[in-house]
Amino acid sequence: MSLPSAHLFIQTLILGILVGGVYALMASGLTLIFGVMRVINVAHGAFLILGAYITYLLFQWFGIDPILSILITVPLFFLFGWVLQRYVFSRIENPEQTSVLVTFALALMLEGALGAIFQTTARSVTPFYSTTTLIIATYRLPVTRLAGFAAALVVLLILYYVLQRTRLGRAIRATIQDPRAAQLVGVKVSMVSAFTFALGVSTAAAGGSLLSMIYTFNPASQGDWVAKTLAIIVLGGMGSLPGALLAAIILGVMEQLTAIIVTLYWSPIVFYIFLFITLIVRPQGLMGEVIREKG
Amino acid sequence: MRSKLLNLVISIALVSLLITACGPAATPAPVATDAPAVTAPAATEAPTAAPAPSIKIGASLPLTGDFSGPGTAAQKGYELWVDMVNKAGGLLGRQVEFKVYDNASNPDTAVADYEKLITQDKVDLVVGPFSSKLVIPTSEVANKYGYAFPEPAGGAPGVFNRGLKNIFFCQPASSDVQGVPFVNYLLGLPEASRPKTFAVISQDDPFTLGVVQAMEPLLTAGGLTEVLSEKYPPDTKDFSSIAAKVADKNPDLIIGGTMFDDSVAQIKAYIQAGYQPRGAFFTTGPSLPVEFNQALGKSTEGIFSAMSWFEASTTETNPEFVAAYHAKYGAEAIAEDSANAFTVGQVLQQAVEGTKGVDNAKLITFMHATTFKTVVGPLSFNELGQPKGSFMTLQWQGGTYKIIAPDYAKQVDAIWPKPKW
Repeated sequence: MSLPSAHLFIQTLILGILVGGVYALMASGLTLIFGVMRVINVAHGAFLILGAYITYLLFQWFGIDPILSILITVPLFFLFGWVLQRYVFSRIENPEQTSVLVTFALALMLEGALGAIFQTTARSVTPFYSTTTLIIATYRLPVTRLAGFAAALVVLLILYYVLQRTRLGRAIRATIQDPRAAQLVGVKVSMVSAFTFALGVSTAAAGGSLLSMIYTFNPASQGDWVAKTLAIIVLGGMGSLPGALLAAIILGVMEQLTAIIVTLYWSPIVFYIFLFITLIVRPQGLMGEVIREKG
Repeated sequence: MRSKLLNLVISIALVSLLITACGPAATPAPVATDAPAVTAPAATEAPTAAPAPSIKIGASLPLTGDFSGPGTAAQKGYELWVDMVNKAGGLLGRQVEFKVYDNASNPDTAVADYEKLITQDKVDLVVGPFSSKLVIPTSEVANKYGYAFPEPAGGAPGVFNRGLKNIFFCQPASSDVQGVPFVNYLLGLPEASRPKTFAVISQDDPFTLGVVQAMEPLLTAGGLTEVLSEKYPPDTKDFSSIAAKVADKNPDLIIGGTMFDDSVAQIKAYIQAGYQPRGAFFTTGPSLPVEFNQALGKSTEGIFSAMSWFEASTTETNPEFVAAYHAKYGAEAIAEDSANAFTVGQVLQQAVEGTKGVDNAKLITFMHATTFKTVVGPLSFNELGQPKGSFMTLQWQGGTYKIIAPDYAKQVDAIWPKPKW
């Protein structure tokens, strides 16, 4: 253990917040899908990596900047998610119990397919600004992380607007609160589920695009990312978007601070320590609702 | 009656002839060396109507996964050696058949592969994989069945301290002394420009730790102060915070215990953190001539690493190897790992020809007692299988690397301090 200087502490805090924003974007889709459909989408990490690979191809073949490629990958994944939900997931009898297995199988299939196509070489997208840093008052903000944070914030704001200010958003929130009651007031729950799943998968596309320029990745990385995003949504409260944002920032900061105060070795473990403590002390997370069995 | 008996005798004679000719070509010496005498008389000529049974050599390599870069380079070296041997008439007149499995850089898979090669594929000989991490468990498998285990890239202390006698590390020196010529270079700098502080950021891997943990006491004894020492798990990708910490402490010298991907990730993180050391040394990464340059471009300038072999070396058999490599694979720069794998082939070939067979026990004894002529120079081993020689230190200058130490291999003077990356 070693106490860092004030400058290093604040620098690390900044890095943690920047990375937390990106984590929040990645986790948002997962928490929404659980909230509406009560489905734990274990394939979320694989979707992130799929998004990263498509961004990589767009960059390699056409030179498209990873942030701009969000405009391409998001609609693509929206369609993909819609089709998946309407024709695959809606046919599952017991979503709460079997969704984990089905999505796990999907994750493995995606990992295998990506491995066959791209092999396990580590890839990353390197736009011209990949090592540029912005310096503000002696603090360094790597441009890729800053851009990632900004893009994440924009997407989250759009998501927030959709959920709070549109009829569809109200329908989604109603379904999250209580699906049967929502049906009673005229919400078409099957449409909402399909839309939310598609929305969740398209945030994975955006998250994947940002991931591709900040980290290196290969097909096996999907396991790390699904574990991290699950830890975030559990801490934040499953189904709560503001909860996911708060938890992502907390965990991002904790991850970075651990590296400099304790040791780099423990950095990845921080997520799982929080996951463990949350499930024992406050299972509904910071902002989730306690789910009571309805009689 | 008589014709029936005659038929029986002739059948038995033919069947026994067939059995001895086609049967156990893959088991150890006695039967294998008898076979050629029974079939084709011209053992040194190209295969005739009944060719001598081939010698099967097996290997499991990390062709995918964390070690895929050096792993595929090693495969090229092995396959080039097999090609050259077969074109020249084979080993002891027998063509070499080379069987490779991909262990995806996973030690458990590698162990299973060697079990399969030896017990099911019944190979005559085995050669080792890339990296100490894979060599350590797989050498135990080879030892269990009495196979010699010449290997191209496993030189960590953990390779040699298990009491095994069948390992032969075919590089000029084991990894703990890899950094020594570099340390000597640093301590030889004039007092005013010599670095005063250093940090060690290393992957938790037997090889990288072996190198950097041997360098630390030498540097401290030479008067440098260690300001930070960190280990990280092998697939770590995010170095931003640790780079900020290193930048905060600002040591003159950074030593990275890395493979390829994390060397690139560390360097990019240091650039982003604004850390400009006066010297930088990485254990693997800078030794891959093509990939390191592709990943970092101008940022490679002035970075040091250790090297077991270099293309321009004029040691006997190296120019032929270099020419044959380019003829087969094109003009790209040759990775050290290909040369190391080729060296394994050379050692194996000279041992097989020296013992006139593929008896692994005899090969092991021969390999402990002989000096081999290889592309890394004359190579001999102590009783633990450690090579008796020394490494070279390279530095990246102008988009390629050059040897700067020790004096007998030096191509150019080193640049100090390192230009901004």
